[in-house]
Amino acid sequence: MTTAALIHVLVSGLATGSIYGLVGLSLVIVYNATRTVNFAQGEMFVVSTFVAWSAARAGWPLPLAFLAAVVAAAVLALVIERAIIRRSIAATHWDVLIITLGLSLILRALAGIVWSHDDFPFPSYFGNRPIAIGPARVVPVSLGIIGASVVLMALLGALFRFTRAGRAMRAVAQNQTAAWLMGISVPRVFSAAWILASVVGAVAGLLIAPVVFLSTKMGLLVINGFIAAVLGGFGSMPGVVVGGMLLGVIENLAPLYLPTGIRYSVPFILLIAILVVRPGGLAGRVHRRKV
Amino acid sequence: MTRARLAGAVAAAAILLAWPLVVPGYFVFLATLVLVNGIVALGLNLLSGYTNQLSFGHAGFFAIGGYATALLTIHAGALPVPVTLLGAGLATALVGLALGIPCLRLEGLYLAMATLAFGFVVVEAILHLDWLTRGNDGLRVPVARLGPLAFSTEASRYYLVVVVTVLMVAGAVNLVRTRTGRAFLAIRESEVAAQTSGVNVAAFKTAAFVVSAFYTGVAGGLFAFVVGYLSPDAFDVFLSVDFLVMIIVGGLGSVGGSLIGAAIVTVLHDSLAAFQNYRPLIFGGIMVAAMLFMPGGVASTARAWRRR
Repeated sequence: MTTAALIHVLVSGLATGSIYGLVGLSLVIVYNATRTVNFAQGEMFVVSTFVAWSAARAGWPLPLAFLAAVVAAAVLALVIERAIIRRSIAATHWDVLIITLGLSLILRALAGIVWSHDDFPFPSYFGNRPIAIGPARVVPVSLGIIGASVVLMALLGALFRFTRAGRAMRAVAQNQTAAWLMGISVPRVFSAAWILASVVGAVAGLLIAPVVFLSTKMGLLVINGFIAAVLGGFGSMPGVVVGGMLLGVIENLAPLYLPTGIRYSVPFILLIAILVVRPGGLAGRVHRRKV
Repeated sequence: MTRARLAGAVAAAAILLAWPLVVPGYFVFLATLVLVNGIVALGLNLLSGYTNQLSFGHAGFFAIGGYATALLTIHAGALPVPVTLLGAGLATALVGLALGIPCLRLEGLYLAMATLAFGFVVVEAILHLDWLTRGNDGLRVPVARLGPLAFSTEASRYYLVVVVTVLMVAGAVNLVRTRTGRAFLAIRESEVAAQTSGVNVAAFKTAAFVVSAFYTGVAGGLFAFVVGYLSPDAFDVFLSVDFLVMIIVGGLGSVGGSLIGAAIVTVLHDSLAAFQNYRPLIFGGIMVAAMLFMPGGVASTARAWRRR
């Protein structure tokens, strides 16, 4: 394969990879705060992306439509967290897992009823015609996705490092009881984590929708996000980003070297392999449980 | 057995046997599906309800059982049905063993994800092994035979399924009362405590996987005969979710609950067939409501009512 073709594959792999990274980040943000995984994350960003689509169709300028999606994502997360998840705060993680799975079915069905299960083209900021950079040709939309994701990831990093809210979330992730005793309102952190995760997911949805078409099927991206999170060692934020990029690149490279039939199985086989061989993630330390 | 329970069992047996004689053909088909799903729910419950290993991929086992049965019937049509079903069950159990051993290292969420991935891989495999499975075109399943007997009518298939279901239920009831069943329950309550009491946790967790896969594989085989046609899109992740809803609604760790849950979900699924768009809405609502208000399912709610 020529270098130019390789660069093209790598760039589009990194682009899908950054989406996986963002979705994985939204899972990890909730996981770190509440120790549960939100299966409905995918359907939540489907709903907010559809909100942007509706707004854009109603004639709103694109930035305003995107803003509407982000607000919708935040409100949706707040409502779900307050109305349902908080009621089951004492339940086992098992129960919460089932609840979020049920929520994902509900949201998917609702989105299907309101907007139908068809595929819709989605407006984008970035062009789709390849441009030449040196010998390689890349699609601007790939670069746009990578750029926007990196900016968002940097913002998240800054949020967790430099703001009070971010520090509170990190404290709760480390030790809930100690955080509580230090005067941090743990329920408020839970809400904040849900909202933040939902907003990050919404951005991922807005970025990927122009590429794959907007549909309720987009919610299945949550599985790739999960794989990204596992690759990076569940819980570590830089790990998730790297895991997502890696998954995107592998997924794009695999069809070049493997029979076509295997292409769609690659992420899942990778997931099983990683879980079995290195449950702590590629770079991760295995947390041995002491008894 | 007390007199009341005996009377109940006799009445249940009578209804079960007389069912095809008194209701129209469609309800015979529906009852057959209820029983087939009941076997899956039993198998899933032995894994998730008894040893607390959550599986999101039982549609994969169900598909393997179905395709194994179909292929056995096509290529070795002379085999009697019990042998075919047993073969399909054992083949699925073998896959369960292969998946169960590596999954020993995983728990909770990670296990759920690994099994979910397994479900996807099975569907992809069926799609791409098209020289064997005919991929997306689907596979027509020949009529089940037992010597000169052909199960070609709705009622005959119903009775076949009844017999298998009774055997499987009896097996499950006995299993949960033996040393193995107690070990499963001990593992659910606390793996550490079970280990210190001398339960070989790894062996029993693997055993639960194998037994669960066997149940689901046999049910998949019956399903193949009952619907007569298999295609990979019937075994997607939403089927795995349906199986989970069955044991959640019915009650985790309850044999009777598995059957009740299967009946509720199957009948609901069928009666909502005209409202495709609303079905997941209602199923999702049931899952959330069951977890919030009735975490033990119908079985434990009924138990609590009886105790009053």
